[in-house]
Amino acid sequence: MAQNAIMTKQTWPAEGFTRAPYWVYTDAAIYAQEQANIFRGNTWNYLGLEAEVPEIGNYKTTYIGEQSVVMTRAEDGQIHAVQNRCAHRGNMVCREAFGQAKKLSCVYHAWNYNLKGDLTHAAFSKGLRGEGGLPEDFKHADHGLLKLRVATLCGLVFATFSNDTPPLEDWLGDVAAGIKRVLHKPLKVLGYDTQRIHANWKAYHENPRDSYHANILHTFYGTFGLSRQSQESGMTLDAAGRHVYFYTKAGTEKPSTDFDKTASDLRSKNDALRLEDPSILKWTDEFGDGVSVQILTTYPSFVLHQIANSLATRQLLPKGPHQCDLVWTYFGFEDDDVVMTERRLAQANLAGSAGLISVEDAAVCEMMQKAMADGATGESFMEMGGKTLTSGGSSKLSERAIRNFWHNYRMDMKL
Amino acid sequence: MSTYIPSEHFRTAENLIYEWARCIDENRVEAIASLLCETGRYTVKSRFNHDRQLPMAIIDCHSPAQLRDRILSMRIANIYAPQHYRHIISGVQIVGTSQDADGVFTLQVRSNYLVVRTMELDGDMKIISTGQCQDEIVLDASTAEGARFKNRLFLYDSRVIETLLIIPI
Repeated sequence: MAQNAIMTKQTWPAEGFTRAPYWVYTDAAIYAQEQANIFRGNTWNYLGLEAEVPEIGNYKTTYIGEQSVVMTRAEDGQIHAVQNRCAHRGNMVCREAFGQAKKLSCVYHAWNYNLKGDLTHAAFSKGLRGEGGLPEDFKHADHGLLKLRVATLCGLVFATFSNDTPPLEDWLGDVAAGIKRVLHKPLKVLGYDTQRIHANWKAYHENPRDSYHANILHTFYGTFGLSRQSQESGMTLDAAGRHVYFYTKAGTEKPSTDFDKTASDLRSKNDALRLEDPSILKWTDEFGDGVSVQILTTYPSFVLHQIANSLATRQLLPKGPHQCDLVWTYFGFEDDDVVMTERRLAQANLAGSAGLISVEDAAVCEMMQKAMADGATGESFMEMGGKTLTSGGSSKLSERAIRNFWHNYRMDMKL
Repeated sequence: MSTYIPSEHFRTAENLIYEWARCIDENRVEAIASLLCETGRYTVKSRFNHDRQLPMAIIDCHSPAQLRDRILSMRIANIYAPQHYRHIISGVQIVGTSQDADGVFTLQVRSNYLVVRTMELDGDMKIISTGQCQDEIVLDASTAEGARFKNRLFLYDSRVIETLLIIPI
């Protein structure tokens, strides 16, 4: 408990959610508490797409926080999620990233489970020749894999360890509309990209909530007009402020002298950056609403992006206080024609770990972590757009969504 | 191998592969674009996706122009911690040859690569990528190099990219 004793000396800055002290990004005891209070707490965490487990017996091995979790398409045709830990001695049951199985079987002592996680058979449970075996009062029903609650929305699969998490759509509130806008028909997976970021998971989680940085840091956006501050844009949060999405409509520039003055100083518009072959930026307004970029983030570990015609989910996996993995799943729709698929694949060059737009994000997270050092001193400052949870309204020039993150984080962490 | 492959073909292929790596390691990255044919393609894809027949690649340039665009973005638009690479290449092997009606040879070549990344600020070094190159090399006496890549496919072994991949490998 020594670490806890040290931690409790730390107090949150008096200003509240407009500040985040740097020790929350570095402290091992805080990290352990996050696993319990957030990732195993009252949150829905993204597991994957229904399209990843299309057939009965398909499974995917993934994580919620640091817990390994298996998502299955079970005998009943429904999606289930179980902790990937044998109820007997704790061995990992599934070790393939994706697989096909009739049952989930632990290699250590051959305890077998059905695809919902119920124990169906334990090797030698009756012993042999009257010797050994499990006690008379052993009930298979009491020794299944730990089952998680599962909910799906438009082909996305979420799970929670808690019985108290509100139903998924209630929990998402107004932000569900941003999911429904994009995921309006059956999906087809195009591939994966995992990015290992040597920074605390929260440094990344804040990033896609931060609409202020998007048109400043990312030169590629501004220069090619996919997303500029002068364009029509907006931001929507759910009532509790856990989730957010913001959007920009390319080609809707509204001239203003304020913008011209500021933009001239921004490195995000670089006239020297001219593409010989701009074909990768050609996009079609497939949703018919003019939105060129929509970035949607749900608490604590999920992002859905539409960047032109590039569509992907991002799953954030904490790996200790100083590291996280960001798993990108690129997809299109089942009925995409060849041209559309090629367009999505070409635009995969824009995002992800080698993305011409987005490589900066991982670099900034790591630079932040480096500058925080041991986290003993200092705090961030987040008053863009105002000091309250509502100030800033729907303007992208605001840190409202980040203030709301810290508000919810502090409640969950009792900090 | 059943067919005889002249040893000069092997030398040419090996030299072209080394040339690509040296351009990057010596921070003359722009020069790799001229090692691609006009219709050449440069792709960096995970073995994870490849094994599952998933088409998505983290880098996919369908022409030298697209590769030059990517390098220009790296030079003037993207932000990343200053760094440089060292390529280690082994096991260069010609696994197939073909000749068209004009007598132009195309070689199917495999090699292993390993890239060490060194960070300028603190000097940290890390193996950031290993994998196999699957190359299609066109022998063309009319070019200075005598050969260029028609296809360069880097299949990287780990599904994970360490931080980011902005300098091409």
